[in-house]
Formats: sequence, structure tokens, C-alpha cells
Amino acid sequence: MSRTTSFKLVLLGESAVGKSSLVLRFVRNEFSDFRESTIGAAFLTQTVELNETTSIKFEIWDTAGQERYKSLAPIYFRNSNAAVIVYDITQPPDTSFEKAKSWVKELQRQADPSIVIMLVGNKLDMESSRKTPRELGERFAEEEGLLFTEASAKSGDGVEELFMEIAKKLPLAPPPQRTLAKGVKVQGKAEETPSACNC
Amino acid sequence: MVIGSGSARMGLRDLVKRSSGISRSGETSRARTVSISRRRLSRQYYILTHAGKLVFASGENEQVQSLMGVAQALVSIYAAEDDRPRSIIRGKSRISFLLKAPLYLFCVSDWGEPEHVLRTHLEYIHLQVLSIVTSTQLAKAFQRRSNFDLSRLLEGTEHFLHTLIKRAQHDFSYLTSSLEPLRMAPSLREAAAAALMPPAKFRDLLYVLLIASGRIVTLLRPRKHSIHPSDLHLLLNTLAASPTLTSSETWIPICFPKFNPAGYVHAYISPVTEDITLVFISADREAFNDLQGWKDIVVEKLARDQTLSRISQAIPLHSYSVSAVSLPGLYHFIYKSRQSIQITAPSWEPPYDGAARDRLITLYQHLHDSLHAKAGQAEPLRLVYVKTQHEACLGWMTKPFELYMAVSPHLSKAAVVSAANAVATFMSKEEARVFIKDAPVF
Ligand SMILES: Nc1nc2c(ncn2[C@@H]2O[C@H](COP(=O)(O)OP(=O)(O)OP(=O)(O)O)[C@@H](O)[C@H]2O)c(=O)[nH]1
Ligand SMILES: [Mg+2]
Repeated sequence: MSRTTSFKLVLLGESAVGKSSLVLRFVRNEFSDFRESTIGAAFLTQTVELNETTSIKFEIWDTAGQERYKSLAPIYFRNSNAAVIVYDITQPPDTSFEKAKSWVKELQRQADPSIVIMLVGNKLDMESSRKTPRELGERFAEEEGLLFTEASAKSGDGVEELFMEIAKKLPLAPPPQRTLAKGVKVQGKAEETPSACNC
Repeated sequence: MVIGSGSARMGLRDLVKRSSGISRSGETSRARTVSISRRRLSRQYYILTHAGKLVFASGENEQVQSLMGVAQALVSIYAAEDDRPRSIIRGKSRISFLLKAPLYLFCVSDWGEPEHVLRTHLEYIHLQVLSIVTSTQLAKAFQRRSNFDLSRLLEGTEHFLHTLIKRAQHDFSYLTSSLEPLRMAPSLREAAAAALMPPAKFRDLLYVLLIASGRIVTLLRPRKHSIHPSDLHLLLNTLAASPTLTSSETWIPICFPKFNPAGYVHAYISPVTEDITLVFISADREAFNDLQGWKDIVVEKLARDQTLSRISQAIPLHSYSVSAVSLPGLYHFIYKSRQSIQITAPSWEPPYDGAARDRLITLYQHLHDSLHAKAGQAEPLRLVYVKTQHEACLGWMTKPFELYMAVSPHLSKAAVVSAANAVATFMSKEEARVFIKDAPVF
């Protein structure tokens, strides 16, 4: 019998870097070479066992990377406990990696200060077409105090591990109720905060 | 008509006129090709920006380049005019175009349909674009840069337009701006509606829909807002075009242009079973959590009394055969309830597949054109009769309904009229099953 704590996690990053693919690998152990671009955002959950007494339930927002949805991103990351920011290692660093950096900056400005951020270089199975060196990601993550890994949604390499690593960083005692940002409709809902249940 | 002063422009105009014969909206071309039974080519649809950038083309083809020339010519001729649609005949094709600044929409067709059919298609395409990028966003983007590349903003949604176009070819609910709900026992529909009645606290809730296999089971709306069928078509298209939408819970911004072209509403889409989807539309972009909580209650209610499984069972029974009317010589019909703005039709059966179906649809479109005086006829007709070597068709408009009907060409006129009466009688008994009646408001 273990205690389950819920946390909100958001995936951000340019379109086609593999956010949905990473989530579906994690949640359903699925992968498709032809995945349609996400519209809006999809909500999925997955529970992992941290140890014998503790489980973590991830409530995941898989957001759309398309430019037209950019202004909606705050609804998804504002209440998040964790963010996975994804780029594509087979693209040159000035594209999706640059975009990932700008997401980090935006979260630092606008998200909850205690948010756990994991930077992920995806498509590791395509090592031979790599255009963004591992060191770039590693160095940036270190400078900004982020978790970092490379993974492949296709092969599954590193996917489960990246979520486990985040799980380990999350505060297990239910975090205090956040003060909501200015201009945000206060809903004062019990389910807004990670909830613990004994089951 | 306002014409630019440049003589080059004048010359171009004359050229286009001479080479193709411009048919303005006021001119009918009724029954031009109605008896031709060849297989029609796929219609081609294009969206261009006013700077001449191609945003969307429905098929990859060589025509694009040559069409661009015609497009530019038309645009330069009509640029100063209002956004009334125009069309020209070029060879066997009609080229229809619609100006919706900052966009131009074109369609090339050799089907021989009335002009308003293509206009309706182009208007739907325009609305589908607005459902993705609101008119406010469009205006802003083009204000900043007049040669803005809109295809970037539409990235990943091409299949929405392809799906729309595909559906609009044979689905009369587009032309008649109406709905075709899932056919089922009225008591079952009522049970579903009762489960969907929202609690009063959801102030920003707009519409609540239950969709089974792409068709509406029931639809609840606030007393103060009606819902425009074309907005619903956009929603149903979006769902049909995007299988992942019905595989996990999603929260998407969507613009309903007839409701408000300037802004998004937000759709909570939740798959309930493999075939059944709940959709809650809210004006509040923060409403996801509340709606998700309410969904659990709705699903529990739906599961009670087997409502959900009875809806699943109704899905394969939606289609019916024209033989249900048991009327010898009756081939096919489309019946529209004018009051509830809904249609029903038996399934397409042989010989109405392929070319024959295209032909019949085009015939129906001509009947529709005459009943509604769409081509500027002096007066709409109440009754239209057209006969080809394959079938006789009747269009009949009454206060409560419109009927489009195909029968054997060997029936006498009197027999055709009594067949129409028989269909009307049949439908008056069936209406309760095929249409949504008195959907509750909240
Ligand atoms: N080789 C390889 N391809 C991948 C991998 N992950 C995703 N892809 C492919 O990359 C494409 C885009 O993946 P998605 O998961 O849809 O990307 P996304 O980030 O969710 O994109 P948006 O929803 O548009 O923001 C798809 O064709 C995937 O099959 C990976 O690890 N390796
Ligand atoms: Mg995605």
C-alpha cells in the first residue's frame, strides 16, 4: 500500500521535436512514425512508483508547439510543478534548441519559482544525424540549474528514466498553495493543489 | 463595377472577358450539363493571400501555375469591388472565387454545378481557416507584414481543410447549412440530454455536445445563444480530421466564426468510449479543471440505465435504405426540416456511387438553386422537376420541409407527385427518430 501524490507536469518545445511521442511512450508505451501535430493541448496521466511507500501521479499537459498556440502556454505551465522542455538533437542548435532556451527563460520569468525543469534532447536514436552536440545542452542546463538528459521516444531510451528523475526531485510533502499570478481568475479549488490520498 | 484606370488593366479585363465569358452572379446556367454522366474530376481549391502567396492547394497539380495567372487577373480586375463572389467559365471548368480580405479563395470545377455551390464551399473553407486563426489574428498578422506567410500559422492543419473539402463534396448538410444527427429512439436522445444538463455554476459554458461516431446525439445550449450549424460543421470536421483528439482528453482553442469571428472559445474534448465523445465548449480558457470534474459526473449518469451502450448500439443502425419507404421507383431522397434545420437521407446505394452519385448530387444542387433562387432568378420556385435519361428529380419546398427526390424516369408525373407525398408522410412519422427535437436549453 503506497501513498500517491499528484503533480502537474507540462511539456514545452517547438513543433515536431517529439513531445507527444515522449508522453505516449511514457504513458502507453506507444510510438508512431506518423504522429499528427497536437492542437491545443492533450491531458494525460501516469503513475510511477518511487519506492515501496510512495507513488507519484503525473498529470501531464502535452502542449502544441505550433506558433499560433504560443499565447496560450501560460494556462498550462502556470500551475505546473514540473516542466519538460524538449528539443530535437538532429536539428542545428539555432532552431529547436534555441527555442528550448527561450522556453526556459519564459518559465523563469513566469512560472512558479519552485518548478522543476528538465531539458531533453530527443531523437537520440538518430545519433548519426546529430546536429546539436550533447555538450551544448549539458552546459546550458548546468548554467541554469536544470535537469538534463537525452532520450529517444522511438527506441524508448531514457524516457521512463527522465520522468523518474523528475519524480525524485519533486517535494513529497504537498507543496503549499501557490499564490496565483496577477489577473488570473482565482478558483480556489482543492484539486488545484497536488493531493495526497491513502489508498 | 469599378475598374482601375490603367489601360493595361482594361486590356486584361477584356481579355478575360473575351476568352472565357464572365458569368456574374445574376446569370443562371441552369441545367447546363445535367445529363452528362462522365466521371467528374476532383474539384481544386486554393487559398491565396492578397499579396499572391499560395496558402493552400487541395491537390498537388500542374494547374496551380496557370491558375495563378488567372487568379491575379481576376484579383486585379475586382480588387476595388466588394467581396461578392464571381466566377468565370473557362473551357469546361468554372472558376469561382471569393474575396475575403486578406485572403482570396478559388475553386476550379468541371461538375457543372450552380455557382452558389462553389461559393458555399469557399465560404466554408474560409470559416475553417478562421476557426484556426481568428479574424483578429489574421488582420494583425497582415497589418504587420502585407506579404505575411499565412501557411506558417496554419501549419499542421492542412488535413482540416482536406477533410472539410472531402465531406462537402457529397454531404448536403453543408449546402443546406443544416445538421444530420445520429438516428435513434427519441427516448434515448432525451435520456442523454438529461445527463448533460450542466450545473448552474458554469457561467461561461456555451455548448454541450454528445457525439457518436462523428454525429451529434444531442446538443444543449444556453437560452440566450443559438448555435449556427456551420460552426458545428467546423467542430465536427476538426474532430473528424484529428483522430488523436478522440483518443485522449484535450483542451483546444477554436474560433466559431458565426458566434464570434474575433476570438477563441475553448473546447474540452473527452473520449468516453471508442465511438462516443463528449464536448464542452466554454468561453473561459481556465475552465478545464472544472469541466473535467463535471465530465466524471456526466459519464456516470450516462452509464446508468445503459444509455451509453444503447447509443453505441444505435451507431450501426444510423443508415437506412431507401427501401424503408417501400415505394417502387423511388431511388433516393434528401429531406430537410426547415424548422429544426436538420436533414436526413437514406444511404447511397447502387447505382449511386462514383459518377452516378456525383451526377445526382449535382442535380439536387440545381433543384436547390431553383428553390432558393440562388442564381438571382426572379422568384424562388415551390416545385422543380428535372428529367434525365437516368432519373427524374423533384425539388419541393413547403413551409415545414424541403424535399429533393430521385425516382425512375419512367414514372408518370402524377406518380412522381404521389411519390413525393409518400416520402413526406413517411418522414412525418420518422422525424422524431432522425431529428433532435426540443433539445434542452440551460
Ligand atoms: N527518429 C525519431 N523520431 C521521433 C522521435 N520522437 C518523435 N519522432 C517523430 O517526430 C515527429 C514529431 O513528433 P511529435 O511527437 O508529434 O512532436 P511534437 O513535439 O508533439 O509536435 P507538436 O505536437 O506539433 O508540438 C513524428 O513524426 C515522430 O514520429 C524519436 O525519438 N526518434
Ligand atoms: Mg504533439
